Amino acid sequence: MKKKSSLKGYTWKTFLLEIVMLLLCSVVVLPFYYLVVSIFKTPREMGLNPLGLPSALNMENIKNAWSQIHFLRAFLNTLIVTFSTLIVVILFGSMSAYAVARRKSRFYKIVMLYFLLGFMVPFQTTMVPLYQQMQRFHLINKLYGLIVLSTGSCVFAFFMYQGFINTVPYELEESAIIDGAGPFRVFFQITFPLLKPITVTMTIFHVMGTWNDFVTPFLFLHTRNNATLMLEMYRGVGEFQSDWPLMMTTMVLIMAPLVVFYIFAQRYIIDGLTNGAVKG
Amino acid sequence: MKRKLKKEFPYLLFILPAFLGYTTFTIIPLLSSFKYAFTNWDGFNRAEFVGFKNFLDLFGDAPMMRALLNTLVYAVSVPVLVTVLSIPLAVLLNGKMKTRNLQRAIFFFPSVPSVLILGYLWSYMLSPTGRGLINTILAFFNIDKVLWLGTPVLAMVSIIMVSVWSQVGWHACIYLANLQSIPSSYIEAARIDGASGWAIFRHITFPMLAPSMTISVMLLLTGSLKVFDLPFSLTNGGPGYSTLMVTQIIITRGVTEKLYGKATAMSVVFFFVICICTVIQLSLMKKREEKLI
Repeated sequence: MKKKSSLKGYTWKTFLLEIVMLLLCSVVVLPFYYLVVSIFKTPREMGLNPLGLPSALNMENIKNAWSQIHFLRAFLNTLIVTFSTLIVVILFGSMSAYAVARRKSRFYKIVMLYFLLGFMVPFQTTMVPLYQQMQRFHLINKLYGLIVLSTGSCVFAFFMYQGFINTVPYELEESAIIDGAGPFRVFFQITFPLLKPITVTMTIFHVMGTWNDFVTPFLFLHTRNNATLMLEMYRGVGEFQSDWPLMMTTMVLIMAPLVVFYIFAQRYIIDGLTNGAVKG
Repeated sequence: MKRKLKKEFPYLLFILPAFLGYTTFTIIPLLSSFKYAFTNWDGFNRAEFVGFKNFLDLFGDAPMMRALLNTLVYAVSVPVLVTVLSIPLAVLLNGKMKTRNLQRAIFFFPSVPSVLILGYLWSYMLSPTGRGLINTILAFFNIDKVLWLGTPVLAMVSIIMVSVWSQVGWHACIYLANLQSIPSSYIEAARIDGASGWAIFRHITFPMLAPSMTISVMLLLTGSLKVFDLPFSLTNGGPGYSTLMVTQIIITRGVTEKLYGKATAMSVVFFFVICICTVIQLSLMKKREEKLI
């Protein structure tokens, strides 16, 4: 049924357009193709034949890149930071949004305005004093420093949740309250599961943003043991910049986890970053 | 009163963590920024109030002025180019093509890897040496070598190009989501009335895209004003100061050189620049949305 209607109106014009668009697609992914074929080449081969397929599946670059970057360490650090901050942001963001959305007194309106103010503040404006602040709290160069820091960026989640909670009916909560459930139980057992769509969107936004973030770890994490994947990338460029295939291999390794995530969760990622943006 | 407070207490606990974190890591640093901007604090000596000296000094700091100008050029070009390219792309992807889901996934892909890595990748691709991919391709068509990252104007053009390339697909997907929510009856009715494809786009599709346009342009504008990773990895601000951006100069002055007063004065100015840009953009675009209703 669905197929039939999509075939209707498929003319030679559409066919031509399809060919043109696929060519355009190949131009868009060309840099990634170039990146992937380069990892099997020697520097010489790469110079002679930048776009061709490699003459042999030479694993030398992968071995070297793997030994040069502390991949597992950095991967684990990135994972810890991304997921701990995700939990912080989702939990604190949704809890505060719940209180503001459900309690109607003026106090909560003021809290909301107060949060709204921070929505306008760019990271750049607070960066220098923030660095001081982090130093004062001895949070520089600590992975948990970034986790503590993320409590300050719950505002985005707050607004995503706050808008959504207003559309969730109150009746279910009301009957639970009559049955004697306290606010915490009502929220975690009844309301929070209903917020799943926005939680998924928030998760995608946060994971993509934090995983790829460079400025924050660059400012607050200094030793190699605490490096995230992006910091390892930065270090790699500083150290073996002139060996092109090795650099390309490093890029592929560092990109790999998120690309794999994209391949498996592609639909959720695109929907999360688009529908979420439009509706949220 | 006491009973009321007791009833309210759990809800206050709900707000408390976000409130504390936000106050400590956003509001207090923000207020400190405003305070430091009027002092000559260097991190060690006692801070003295210096009035508007830091702000006046900004004008004499050539790299800072250049960074502000560069950021404005970038933050105007990228949203305009991405919007102009992503709307037609979304319309095409909303058509009857069989591979449109595949195409959507491919166009979206460049926004998945970190911009830092994309910057490094392109710095190799645009390299003027024999191995730079773009120049190799140009040579194939008998076009002379171009010093993409070596000349001030072309370096900025390169950054803008790479940024547009990496964001067009994502923003096309935002418009696509909006397009799919336009009732097809509108378009069919217009078609029955004999409207051409362009007229339908001009008078129905484009105005109906107003809500996603507000979001998309806002994301692009605020993102571009705050840009750091891409110029940092692609050109590191060079050649000279020609692609230096505000974020990078604030980090250099404030964190590396410890010129807190100057750096915070710049960040305060920048705060107002962002506020003004966002307010103008939102009010213009909201007006378009209201016309829809």
